[in-house]
Order: sequence, then structure tokens, then C-alpha cells
Amino acid sequence: MDLKSLTISQIQELLFSKQISAVEIVKFYLQRIKKLDPQIKSFITVTEKEALKQAENIDNRIKKGESVGKLAGAVMAVKDIFLTKDIQTTASSQVLKDYVPQYSSTIYQKLINEDAIVIGKTNTDPFAFGGSTENSGFFTTKNPWNLSKVPGGSSGGSAAAVAADFCQFALGTDTGGSIRLPASLCNISGLKPTYGLNSRYGITAMASSFDCPGVFAKNVSDLALVTEITAGIDPKDATTINNPVPNYSQILGDIDLKKLRIGIPKEYFIDPINIEVKEKVMKAAKLFESNGATLVDISLPSTKLGIAVYYILVPSEISANMARYDGIRFGRNTNNNPDITSYYMNTRGQYMEAEVKRRILIGTYALSSGYYDAYYTKASKVRTLIKNEFTNALKNVDVILAPVSPTVAWDIGAKANDPLQMYLVDAFTVCINVAGVPSVALPCGFDQTNLPIGFQLIGNFFEEAKILSIAHQYQQITDFHTNTPNL
Amino acid sequence: MSDPKISMADLEHIAKLARINLSEPEKKTFLPQLESVLEYLDVLNQANVENIEPTYRVNDQKNILRKDEVAESFNQKTALSSAPKTQDGYFTVPQTIKK
Repeated sequence: MDLKSLTISQIQELLFSKQISAVEIVKFYLQRIKKLDPQIKSFITVTEKEALKQAENIDNRIKKGESVGKLAGAVMAVKDIFLTKDIQTTASSQVLKDYVPQYSSTIYQKLINEDAIVIGKTNTDPFAFGGSTENSGFFTTKNPWNLSKVPGGSSGGSAAAVAADFCQFALGTDTGGSIRLPASLCNISGLKPTYGLNSRYGITAMASSFDCPGVFAKNVSDLALVTEITAGIDPKDATTINNPVPNYSQILGDIDLKKLRIGIPKEYFIDPINIEVKEKVMKAAKLFESNGATLVDISLPSTKLGIAVYYILVPSEISANMARYDGIRFGRNTNNNPDITSYYMNTRGQYMEAEVKRRILIGTYALSSGYYDAYYTKASKVRTLIKNEFTNALKNVDVILAPVSPTVAWDIGAKANDPLQMYLVDAFTVCINVAGVPSVALPCGFDQTNLPIGFQLIGNFFEEAKILSIAHQYQQITDFHTNTPNL
Repeated sequence: MSDPKISMADLEHIAKLARINLSEPEKKTFLPQLESVLEYLDVLNQANVENIEPTYRVNDQKNILRKDEVAESFNQKTALSSAPKTQDGYFTVPQTIKK
């Protein structure tokens, strides 16, 4: 049976009506991965054995009439920075090559508990540091829409795996755009939740006050279905919030587009935006307007400071988190070191990728004596301005609509040797992380070369239900998200 | 052209603070890259942050406390299972104190 492009609920309908078994579902995806992933390179590890074992277990329970989890039959790919017990977790870095964790990340485990099936671990920039997967310590993932282009990053492997139909959904993380950017460049949907909605426990830490684990899927309805399982307080992550988790998938029709006020921030429609991207994103806004919504011009004046704030605070937090990689308790190490300091210096020097070193160095510099106030304190104050601009704007509008990436997917190699140019691709995503608010990215068209364009809907703190509902209704009146690449 | 933000000596100093051994070619590559990033960060000079409090966390949370209870944890074998070197049930590290 051809399962291509099927969503979670469509697959489950086939599974529960016994038209297909879980093992057959897994075999369908494994076959596609074997045939197509050698070109796309979305996976670092394909978990064939684990996936088939889980599928057999689900099939047995269905046969016996026993209960199964909410995601039975749903096949997921997992960004390789989520710890998965007994399954190699590399963070796409040589530092963790062959590392097999003794425990699992909370939200991965929650999904497994609901019978989601893990098909593999996906490529990313090392420790999620990057916007294209080109920094990976292993290889670069290709964009399924055009194999000479990047998929975006850092969660590029997860985005490519969903776009290429190697799974139904995938886990990623978004610290500065790492879910929304690749979703946008690969024509799929992705949710960066509010900071604190999804537990960070068991995920390699990048910037602890920014990191947001989240999900990629083929449509918004599946994002909702998975997020209602991942979300919620976790005693192992003290920054998760004890709010009741709505059944997002049941309330997708709740928002009335006619009463909606949509903010259009002028700072997101100027340089460096590409003209075709601007046209398609404005067309999405106009479609809401023709369905009764009101477009409101707004201003978020500190947007131009976002990248600078981000590239001070995030490397600072990175340098603190990465200080823990000592090569003693786990990970790679070096031999013949006369003392402990040279052990650290040689181990970290030998195995950390260039971008990992650069970010640690920038952070160490910003936090070092004499520079702390000029960089870290100043950036933390501008963070307040950026956050306040969002929350104030959202008093007057329901949601903010903006582009995700200033351009469509670019050529592999085009920005690889210029870190600053690479950092600037996040111009329209980082401020959302600086503020901590949620944002959903979804497709809204293609450029003349048939490369995908996406936009994002930004809500206030913990308004996932609202932005998912609006995004879902957009997908009811458009079909951009149903387009798939020719592979 | 303003003074460079970072000299080779600065780079070597922070690399040492960060416990990262850099090769000579790496230093030559990184120095201009870090210089251009640090120059870009000057855009923050435009911001007026007088009387603005810094934000270190985005959600209003105070200290999150829990009961200090004994719970199940890894046994010794599991805890050591990912370590590159162990001996007699301990992690092995190079000499840390001079003889």
C-alpha cells in the first residue's frame, strides 16, 4: 500500500480498521529510507530493529484487542540531540560519536509511551549550532526539493525526513529558528512552542534560557496531536510550567477568522527579505483578510537588534553548558596527556567542530572580565525591550504574521565559510526566542524555481491553541502544505 | 577603521579559559571571523536601555523547590557504562595534583 503523504490520523484509520499492520507501516518507511536517504542524508542512525520491535508489539496488542497509545502507528524521526536510551546519540558531533545514553529525554519517552515508533535519529548542526546542517561533524543534509540546496537548520535532518516522507512527524529544537527555518525551507509545518511548554530534560543543552523542543509534521493538525502529548510540567526540568495542557487537536476550529486581528510588523518586510518571499507572505496575509480578518500595521522597532542580542546571550549560555564536556564521564577522549588541563584542552580541541569552538569562544569573550557589562548585561536589557514589544503588540492584535526565512533555500556551501552571513539567516526568527513566545511556521507558496516559502504566526505566551487553530484554518483554505518534492 | 576588537593574544587567552586547544590554522581562520562578529555586535550601541531591567528568564518563576527525597538512580555499572576509561568502579582521569 502506498502510504506516501499520509498524516497521522489517516495512517491510524488504516491501522485500526486492520487494512494495514504497524509492521507494514514501518517497512514502507524503511524501504523509502533505504532507497532515497543515501542522497538526502537526513539520518545519522536508522533504528530498524527498534522500530520493527515496537511495531510488532503494537500489532500484537491490536490483535488481542488490548489498548494502544494515542500515537500507535505514527512513525517519528528524532533529532540526534534528544537522548534515546540504548540508541546512539551523537548530537552530530565527533565529541559524542558512538555515545549510547543510559536514559531518555522526557518528551521522547512520552511519545514512546503513546506508541509512537522511532525510525531513526536525524542529522543537525553539531549540538544544534547552525542554520543549515553544514556544521555537522558527519555530513550535510540535502533539501529534498533540490539536492544542491541546504534544508535549513539546525534541525535540517528532521525537516528533510518529514518532507521526503521518511516518517509522519519529527522532533526538533528551536533555540533561534532551528525548527521554523528548516520547516519553511522544506515545505512542512513546525511549532516552536512557548519556552517552558516542552521539557528540555535529556536534550543536549545549547542555551538553557532559549531552548524549545518542538515538532515537525506534514500539517498543523498533526502538530497539535503530537504537542498535546509532549507538553506539560516535568519535575526534571524546573523551567517547565504547571499549566493544564489543552487538547490542541480538538479545538483547531475554535478561532473565528472573521474576528481576528492580525499584526503585520513592518520590520519583518524590509531588507534582507527577498521580493518573492515578501509577495507570498503578504499573499497569505491577504487571504486571511479576504476571509474576514483585519490586518493591522504594527512596529517591533528592536527587531534590528535581535541578531546581536542573540549572538551574545546564546554563545554565553553555550560556553557555560559546553564547559561540561570533559571527556571523562562520556564522549570521546585523548590519550597521553600529562595533566588534567591538557586532557581537557586536547580532547575538546581535537573533537569539537569549528562552529562549536567559535560559539564557545564568542561566549567566553562576552562573559570575560572587562566585557561582561558591555555585552552580557547590555544584551539582557535589550532582551527586555524585545520581549515587551511583543507582549505590548499582542495586546492590540491576536497574532503576528511574518516571514520565517528572508530567502528560499540557498546553495550548499554559499555561506559555509562566513559565520556572520550564516547568523543573519535567522533575522526573522531569533526575536521570537529572545522573547520566549510561541510561533508556528507553515508553507505559503513557492518561488519561480519551485523552492518552498513559509510564514509564521506568533502568539502570546502559552497561546499555542490559538496560533495552531489559525494555522489549521489557513491549511483548510490552501493546499501549499500538500505539495511534496519529486524524489 | 576602529581598533580591532580582538587580538591574537586575546584569542589565545580566551581559548585557554575555554579549555580548547586551537591549531595555528584554526587561530588564523577564527580571528577575522570573530572580529567580524564582534564588530557586528556594535549595533547594540544604538539601543537606549536606561532604566531597563535585564531579562534572564522569560517566564515569571521564582525558585522551584522540591522535597529532598531518596529516589532510584543509576547503579555503579550503568553510571560508568559510557566512560572512556574506568578502574575499580571509578572514572579514570589524568593526574590532577602535582607530586
